[in-house]
Amino acid sequence: MRVLFFAQLKDVTGCDSVEILSPAPLTAHQLWTELLKQFPELAAHRSSVRLANHCEYAGPDTVFASDDEIALIPPVSGG
Amino acid sequence: MEIEIQLTPDPIAETISPPPSLGAHGAWLEFRGVVRGEENGGNISALEYEAYPEMATGEIRRILESLGTKFPCLAAKVIHRVGVIPVGDTAIYVGVASPHRGEAIALLAGFMDRLKQDVPIWKRRALPPVAANANLRTSGPGASADSHRRPQNILSVNEALAEIQSCCRPLPAIRAPLAEAFGRVLRETVCAPSDLPDRDRSTRDGYAIRQNDASESFRVVDTLHAADWKPCQLKSGETVRVATGAALPCENLRVVIQEHVERDGDRIRITKHESALNLRQRGEDVKAGQPLVPAGAHLNAGRLALLASAGCTQPLVSPRLRVVHFTTGDEIVSPEHTPRPGQVRDSNSILIHSLLRRFACETEQAHLPEDFDLAKEQIGNQQSAIGNSDVLLVSGGASVGDRDFTRPLLEWLGFEIVFSQVNVRPGRPLIFGIAGGASVPASRLVGSLAPPDKVRVAFGLPGNPLSHFVCFHLFVAATLAKLTGAEPVKFRRGRLGAKLDDAPCPRETLWPARREPTGLHPLAWASSGDVTCLTEANALIRIPADRGSIEAGGEVEFLSTD
Repeated sequence: MRVLFFAQLKDVTGCDSVEILSPAPLTAHQLWTELLKQFPELAAHRSSVRLANHCEYAGPDTVFASDDEIALIPPVSGG
Repeated sequence: MEIEIQLTPDPIAETISPPPSLGAHGAWLEFRGVVRGEENGGNISALEYEAYPEMATGEIRRILESLGTKFPCLAAKVIHRVGVIPVGDTAIYVGVASPHRGEAIALLAGFMDRLKQDVPIWKRRALPPVAANANLRTSGPGASADSHRRPQNILSVNEALAEIQSCCRPLPAIRAPLAEAFGRVLRETVCAPSDLPDRDRSTRDGYAIRQNDASESFRVVDTLHAADWKPCQLKSGETVRVATGAALPCENLRVVIQEHVERDGDRIRITKHESALNLRQRGEDVKAGQPLVPAGAHLNAGRLALLASAGCTQPLVSPRLRVVHFTTGDEIVSPEHTPRPGQVRDSNSILIHSLLRRFACETEQAHLPEDFDLAKEQIGNQQSAIGNSDVLLVSGGASVGDRDFTRPLLEWLGFEIVFSQVNVRPGRPLIFGIAGGASVPASRLVGSLAPPDKVRVAFGLPGNPLSHFVCFHLFVAATLAKLTGAEPVKFRRGRLGAKLDDAPCPRETLWPARREPTGLHPLAWASSGDVTCLTEANALIRIPADRGSIEAGGEVEFLSTD
């Protein structure tokens, strides 16, 4: 599964996306665990970041599968 | 409800027409969000917006559709600009059409609230204001007419350079694709997003083993090609076959080159031991987060390649400078013509054209007749080019009254003359003027073609080719550097490789020279009309006023011109 980073999270991770290899689908909690292994600095942002899956905000029960495009959405500031 | 959504890096149009579905009656409500000159209490020049375009478009549509069930409207149009948006420009435009105003107002208000909560668009960073300029000329037309009559002070080279620095400011930066960025100036430091190389990579064809593994023989557990990435923890007595460039499967390995190995089936034995690791270590070139290319750097082929390797495909760079260059003087003939007695071929056009090339400029060139009224008439047809230009260069004629012509011409074009003489040889009658900004009342600008806040600069260059060469490298290049946000041009120190023979001159001199490994060699130079010495020149030696000859080995300041 591909995870996209935007705005300040690009600065935090130093990249705009990462590929996570997982044979089984992941819950949001498991996905965060994987992400924090690679980017421990993301921990500070976890509480303010929303997850999106295929361009829609994920719900609490969303499960992320291997061909999903996931995005970490930090607080938005458009307009 | 008809919905139209755009995310665009381009400026949003000044006027947008209502959708035809509105017909002749009803409400067409428009909203524009404009970038303020202040962000978090500080002054700014622009905001940079970033979007997750696919999702932003989807969210905007979802919000509009959901509000549309509550407040039925005919049509909605949303345009959000992304990228660098200067202060005063529209960042978001929303137009709503409905039979009655109530629904449109409610839908617009609801939409803007939800946009600011849910649509994945971010203010990425605020660009700082360009340094305010205390020295900008604020005199009006009266003072200018006065200064025209009053003889002006002759400035030293340093004073003239300081005036240029204080009159010019960097143009707003833009994002450009790499293929269009050559020759431009990078405006923000680009750091490595990851280590380069990204992991330990083999520099030889051979076998990777653990660095401290003293086994007699090894079992080959895998084969890795250059593009493979197969992480695994090698155990003692295990090896993987690796090709040059292949990423090693874990850290703390070394590569035994294939010439030092005997292979038998899936086992190898090392026949010769050496200490070399034969690998490029992770982060050996650049560590993640380390600056790759600093702000202010000119983007050459190598730097562009480095940006590409770091995934920076839309660097923030200086805009393309627009330069208009006029030659003047009735004695100048085009190079393909044979000059009659008293005439000379125009070498300045190609000289300036070539010197401008390294600055990523769009250059327009034309010849002006020496008759002021005829020149004005010709310029009348090219006003838009001049009004839109950042820099105007006027080459004086080689002999006839060039200063008398250029100065009134620049003033007629709305330029305020900052200085018109520099105490330098060659190049003394150099004119520098500015227009726009706070310097000149808008009424004096050429028509209304230039936005009144846009600062433009002009040079009147003395007509001789060597004067052109010196004035370009000394003053025009400093201006272009400032406008593009490049590192300022600096004098360097070097030693003379041969004696510089000169009588003391009351003016500072820039002497054409050839920089060789043995030092700076002054070139023979007869007069400021001398073109021949330019074929060899790659430096200008700076000789202080009244200095005279300098012996070989003497230390001097010089300006590199290649």
